[in-house]
Amino acid sequence: MTRNRHVLTSVLMIALAVLMSVPFYYIVVNTFKTQEETTNSPLALPTHWVLDNYVKVFEGTPVVQSLMNTIYVTVISIFLMLAIGSLAAFGQITDRSRVSRIIGAVLVAAFIIPGQATLVPLYRMLVGVHLVDSLNGLIVIYACGSIFCYYLILGYMRTIPAELLEAARIDGAGPFRIYWMIVLPLIRPILVTVGVFQTMWVWNDFITPNVFISSEEKQTLVLQVYTAVGQFTTDWPSFMTLTVVVLIPMVLFFIFMQRHIVSGLVSGSVKG
Amino acid sequence: MALSTTSALQPMRSPNGRDKTLPRKRIHRLSVTSWAFMAPIAVVFVALYIIPMTQSVYYSFTDFNGYVSNPKFVGLDNYTHLFKDPSMLSALGYTIFYAVTTTILVTVAAIPLALTLNRKFLGRNLVRSAFFFPAVPSVAILGLVWGFILNPLGSGVLNSIIHSLTGLGPIPWLSDSTLAQLSTVVVTIWAQTGWHAVLYLAYLQAIPADYYEVSKIDGASGWQSFRYITLPLLVPAMAVSQLLLMTNGLKVFDLPFTLTRGGPGFSTRTLTQSLIEDGIAQSRVGAASALAVLFLFVVGLVVLGQMAITNALQRKYS
Repeated sequence: MTRNRHVLTSVLMIALAVLMSVPFYYIVVNTFKTQEETTNSPLALPTHWVLDNYVKVFEGTPVVQSLMNTIYVTVISIFLMLAIGSLAAFGQITDRSRVSRIIGAVLVAAFIIPGQATLVPLYRMLVGVHLVDSLNGLIVIYACGSIFCYYLILGYMRTIPAELLEAARIDGAGPFRIYWMIVLPLIRPILVTVGVFQTMWVWNDFITPNVFISSEEKQTLVLQVYTAVGQFTTDWPSFMTLTVVVLIPMVLFFIFMQRHIVSGLVSGSVKG
Repeated sequence: MALSTTSALQPMRSPNGRDKTLPRKRIHRLSVTSWAFMAPIAVVFVALYIIPMTQSVYYSFTDFNGYVSNPKFVGLDNYTHLFKDPSMLSALGYTIFYAVTTTILVTVAAIPLALTLNRKFLGRNLVRSAFFFPAVPSVAILGLVWGFILNPLGSGVLNSIIHSLTGLGPIPWLSDSTLAQLSTVVVTIWAQTGWHAVLYLAYLQAIPADYYEVSKIDGASGWQSFRYITLPLLVPAMAVSQLLLMTNGLKVFDLPFTLTRGGPGFSTRTLTQSLIEDGIAQSRVGAASALAVLFLFVVGLVVLGQMAITNALQRKYS
């Protein structure tokens, strides 16, 4: 009886999962077909596997440039966010002065202010400092994420026994040394979790590059896929191929980071 | 005094506890530098939140268009215009429709999915990954891919499948207002349900198994143990998940925009799209700022309301 139920659940859920995955199957399978075949039999396996689409995408679009741009923006943004967030969290746990307490309390407001409410002034601000249509301008905007990092790191840092920091202080370590040599290694798990979570945001973000980036050589991957729709209006296989190429890093990221993604999801959602 | 000079070289090594004043002094000295640790985040907060927010509020009361240097004060004009502009009103209507329906439907789909994924069955890990995966790639890219699938022409993927199975003509998935609106909701459910199910799953796995054993011994039915054990213990998860769905729903831009560009007409145009087009493309800064302030109030109210509800519920259930 229970055995049958297990089998039934299994069959039903696998069927549903397969149905869910059809869009991904569809884009992958069509990258190996000719355009004619894509139109005539969209879901069938290709009769002849062709790699022309991949050649066309790598030769005809700046996908490598976009990949480099995305890596540059993501790596620097994440590093900056984690540095600012963890420094602030460290300041908050070691300092009980009124100034720190006020800063700590006021930062909560960042969770209530939606990006929409600051977008237009930020755009004008970046125009003023010539950081529009610049990858560094994107990094400035993504520094917003440090407040989210701060809260998650702060929660984790509070679990470090105060005696440990006290002992280091008694041994003569200055505050920055305590932060660098003792606190940072201890909070590595949360740095990884928050880093993975924020990487997904920056890597996948569409609205910021769409608003702030206009020249082709500064596009991120997501923005490039978006502009490619216009470029490949009728050439669906090429569009699918570009999409698959762009999705590959995300798939690898998912495979290797699944555990961290899920723990980031859970801890991140608690903070909201 | 002698002690403090040696302690500069070899601080706090003296084992006797008589120098009680020294630690306090040190903590104080540390405080000054600790404060500096918070300086970068204070800069981020002021430059990227407080200043632009203040500007949005200020511009919302002016006719600023990005070019004149001294904008005129127009009182609440921008706000009243907001509620007269038909494209803005339809954006408001659609955004609320989207936020509410996705919040309800994703929740209704995610809880049973989480309960099922919490049971043991063959291929469970694979199924979990398959449901979760759509939350990993960029929503914008998924929107573009679905745009091809739901292409309203006869050559669209879904339409050609339907045609070969049933012989029906092309269905205007994205070119009919109502169908386009529903399509954006359906794609969102496809993309988000697994993510939220995993969130619920984390809370489900925290429920001790003895609760269910005891209720079984007491003769509770499956439905009763769900109703009286699982559901109450999922309340915090529901609060979190629905807060995210609701705020993300109100702030939505990527998915409707990449799937339909806001069309047909204004039917899937979101408030964020209006804000970007008004404030940046057309430089109607005053009008866009009024919308920005409205955003702040609505999203702020939803967040604060949800926080209050969560706190009340947590007090009730713990």
